[in-house]
Amino acid sequence: MQRALVEVLLLSVTAGVLGSWIVLRRLAFYTHAIGTAAFPGLVLAVPWGIPAQAAALGTALGFAGALDRLTRSGRAATDAATGLLLVGFFAVGVVLASDVFEAGAGVDRLLFGSLLGVSELDLWLTAAAAVGALALNAALWRPLLTAGFDPSAARALGVPATTADWLLLVAIACAAVVALEAVGALLVIGVLVMPAATVRLVARSVPELQIATAALAALQGVAGLWLAATLNVGPGPTISVLGGAVFAAAALFLAGRRRLAR
Amino acid sequence: MSRGGSRLVEVSDLGGGYAPGAEALSDTSFAVEAGMILAVLGPNGGGKTTLFRALLGELPIRRGHVEVRGRPAYVPQTERARLDFPVSAVEVVLMGAYGRTAWYRRVARADRGAANAALERVGLADRAGVRFGQLSGGQRQRVLIARALMQDAAVLLLDEPLSGVDTASAERIETLLSDLRGQGRAVLVATHDVDQARRWDRVLCLSGRQVAFGPPAETLTTSVLRATYGAELVELDDGRYGVRVDHHSHGT
Amino acid sequence: MDWLLDPFSGAIGRRALVEVILLGLACGPLGVWIVLYRRSYAAESISHGMLPGLVLAALAGVPLLLGAAGGVLLCAAAITLVARDERLGGDVGVAVAVTALFGLGAMLALAPAVPPRLEELLFGDLLGVSSGDLMAAGVLAAAVAVALAVAFRPLSLVAFDAASARSLGAPPGRWQLALLALLAVTTVVVVQGLGSLLVVALILAPGAAALNVTGRLPAALGLATWLAALAGAAGLVISHHLAVAAGASVALCAVAEWVLSLLAWRMHAPSPPSTALPADTFAQAR
Repeated sequence: MQRALVEVLLLSVTAGVLGSWIVLRRLAFYTHAIGTAAFPGLVLAVPWGIPAQAAALGTALGFAGALDRLTRSGRAATDAATGLLLVGFFAVGVVLASDVFEAGAGVDRLLFGSLLGVSELDLWLTAAAAVGALALNAALWRPLLTAGFDPSAARALGVPATTADWLLLVAIACAAVVALEAVGALLVIGVLVMPAATVRLVARSVPELQIATAALAALQGVAGLWLAATLNVGPGPTISVLGGAVFAAAALFLAGRRRLAR
Repeated sequence: MSRGGSRLVEVSDLGGGYAPGAEALSDTSFAVEAGMILAVLGPNGGGKTTLFRALLGELPIRRGHVEVRGRPAYVPQTERARLDFPVSAVEVVLMGAYGRTAWYRRVARADRGAANAALERVGLADRAGVRFGQLSGGQRQRVLIARALMQDAAVLLLDEPLSGVDTASAERIETLLSDLRGQGRAVLVATHDVDQARRWDRVLCLSGRQVAFGPPAETLTTSVLRATYGAELVELDDGRYGVRVDHHSHGT
Repeated sequence: MDWLLDPFSGAIGRRALVEVILLGLACGPLGVWIVLYRRSYAAESISHGMLPGLVLAALAGVPLLLGAAGGVLLCAAAITLVARDERLGGDVGVAVAVTALFGLGAMLALAPAVPPRLEELLFGDLLGVSSGDLMAAGVLAAAVAVALAVAFRPLSLVAFDAASARSLGAPPGRWQLALLALLAVTTVVVVQGLGSLLVVALILAPGAAALNVTGRLPAALGLATWLAALAGAAGLVISHHLAVAAGASVALCAVAEWVLSLLAWRMHAPSPPSTALPADTFAQAR
C-alpha cells in the first residue's frame, strides 16, 4: 500500500505538468490511444521476458509513428485512422493474449492496472518520468506556450514549435506508459487528463493550472486508493470514476454560478 | 542578397499553392520599399493569406522568387488565437521576444521592459495582466500588434487588422501604422477596405493572380476592382465602392 | 476447401457465420457514412462508454441487448451534456465522460464475487450467440440497412455540402443526429459479438476500406457490405484454426482489409509531399 501511495504522488507530478499541456493542446484522444496501443506490448512482455514499460513504449511509439505516416500521406482521415489503428493494435493484443493467458485475470491487470502491485522498478520509472516531465516543461515552455496559443504565428515568431510539439508527443507517450502500470492501458486518462480538465475550468494561467492539477491529481489518487480499499475494487477504475465525478461536480457548480450571475 | 538597399520585400513571378496542380497564387510581382505601407486587396480565398505565408517562408514556392529583409513580424486575425488559453496580455506580447531568446536562457529583463512599453504604445498598459480572451476584439488586435512591435522587424504583415474593430482601436492602429512607416519599416496590410487602401502608398490587388500593383490612384479604378472582386463588389450611393465580405468563408 | 468449411460444420459455427453476415449488412454501409461524416471518434466513444450498461445487464441476468441499449443511451446523454459547453473543450470533456463511464463499468465488473465474465463484454462472445440473439440482430441490422438505404439522398447531400444541404431539403442537424442514432443501434447489435472494445473495427474498417478503393458512393456502400461479411467469415475461419478469440480475429480481418486498401491506393496515387508534421495530431482534436 505504501508503494501505491508513493506511485500516486509521483504520478501527480507528471499529471500536473504534462496533463495541463494535454488538455490545453487537445491531446486527450491521443493520450488514450497511446495507452491502449501499448496493450500488445504488455501482453508480449511477460513471455519475452522484457520489462513491461519497455515493451509498452515500443508498441506505443510504433503506433504513433504509424499514425503519423498515415495522416501525413493525407488519404486516411485522421479520426478514422486513429480509431482503426488503435483497434487494430488492440485486437492484436487480444489475439496474442488468448495464447498467452488462459485465465482472464492477467488481461484484467493489463487493462485496469495493478496499482497495489507496483514494483520498485515501476516507482523508479515513474520518478524518472516526473523528472523528465519537469525538465521538458522548463526547457520547452516558450515554444509550447506560443504554439498552444497561436499555432499559425508560432513559426513566424521564430520559436521551434515543431520540435517542441514532437517532444511533447513523445513525452506524453512516456507518461502514458508509466501511468498504465498503475491504472491500466485503458484508463490513463483518469490520471493524466481528468485532474487537468477539472482545474482548467478555473485556472487563469498555465503555471497555476499545472500546480493545481498536480495537487488535485494527488488528492484524487489518494482518495481513489482509499475508496478502492473500502469498496474492495480495483484502484485504477476507482480513480477514473472519482475523477469523472469531480469534473462533473466542478462543471455543474460553475454552470450554476454562471446562471445565478445573470 | 537584396539588390536595392531600401527594398525590404521583393517578389517576382511568384506562383505556388497547397495542393499539387491547384495554384492559390500565380504571376505575382511587386516590391515594397522602406517606409511604405502596401495594401493587399482581394476576395477571401484570392491569395492574400497565401502570399503572406509565402513571405513567411511557410509555403512551398513553385515558381518565382521571394526576398524579404529579416524575419517578418506577422499579425494574424484575432480569431486564429485561442481565446480560451490562460495567458495574459503581457504574456502574449512577450512572445515577440521568444524568437531571439536562446532556449536555455531566461527572457532578458530588457525584453520584459520592452513588452510593457509596447503595450503602452498600443494604449493597453493598464490591461497588461488581463486574460487575453477577456479583452475586446479591438484590444486583442492591439495586443497582437504589440507582439509584432516586440519583434522589431523590418517588415510587418498584418492580416485584416481593422476588421470588426471598434473606432477607438481602429484609430490607434492607423496611427501606429503611420509610425511604423515613419520608422522606415515596410508594412503590408491585407484589407477589404478600399477607402483605407486609398490612403496608403501602394496597392496590390490579388485574385488568384496579380490584377494590379501600383499607387492607389492608378490601381483603385473601377475596372481593376471589378476584376479583383467580381460579384462581391458593391457600388455605394456616393459612387464609391465597398466589398461584401463573408467572414465565414476563409478559403485559404 | 474443407479447411474453409470446417469452422461451419457445427451449429455454433453456422450461427456465428449468420451473425457476422447480418452484422455486415448494417456495419458496412454505416461505416462508410461514419467515415464520410468524420464521426469515428463518436463511434469509439459510444462503444467504450456503454460498458456500465453491459455489466449491469450481465449482473442482473437481463438480456445483454437491453443492457447495451441502456448503456448507449446513458453514454449518449453524458456526451451530449458535455459537448454542449464550449469551455469544456469539446473532445476533452467527451474523453473524461467516456473514460469515467468505462471505469464505472470496470468497477462494477471487477467488484462482485461472481464476476460477469468481463472478457466477453469487452471482446465479445461471437461463438456464444443463441438463436434468439440472431433474430434480434437480424431485425435490427435489417432495420439499419433499410434506414440507410432510404436516407441515401439526404445523407449524401449533407455529407458533401452541409452548407447548401438545408436549402435542398436536408437540414444537416437532423441527419447528423439520425446517423448517430443509427450508429447507436448498430453498436448495440454488434457489441454482443465483438465486445465493447472491438466493435469499432467492424463498424469503421470495411467502410474506410471501401472508400479507399472506390470514389463512387453507391459502389462504396455495396463494397463495404461485402467487405464486412468477408471479414466476419475470414475471422471465424482464422479463429477456428488458430484457436484464438473469434471477435478479435474478425476485428483483425476487418482492419487488415483497411490496411490493404491503403496499400492498394498508394500504388496508383503517389502521395503529395506534406509540410504538416505533428500538427495533424493536434488538428484531429478539432
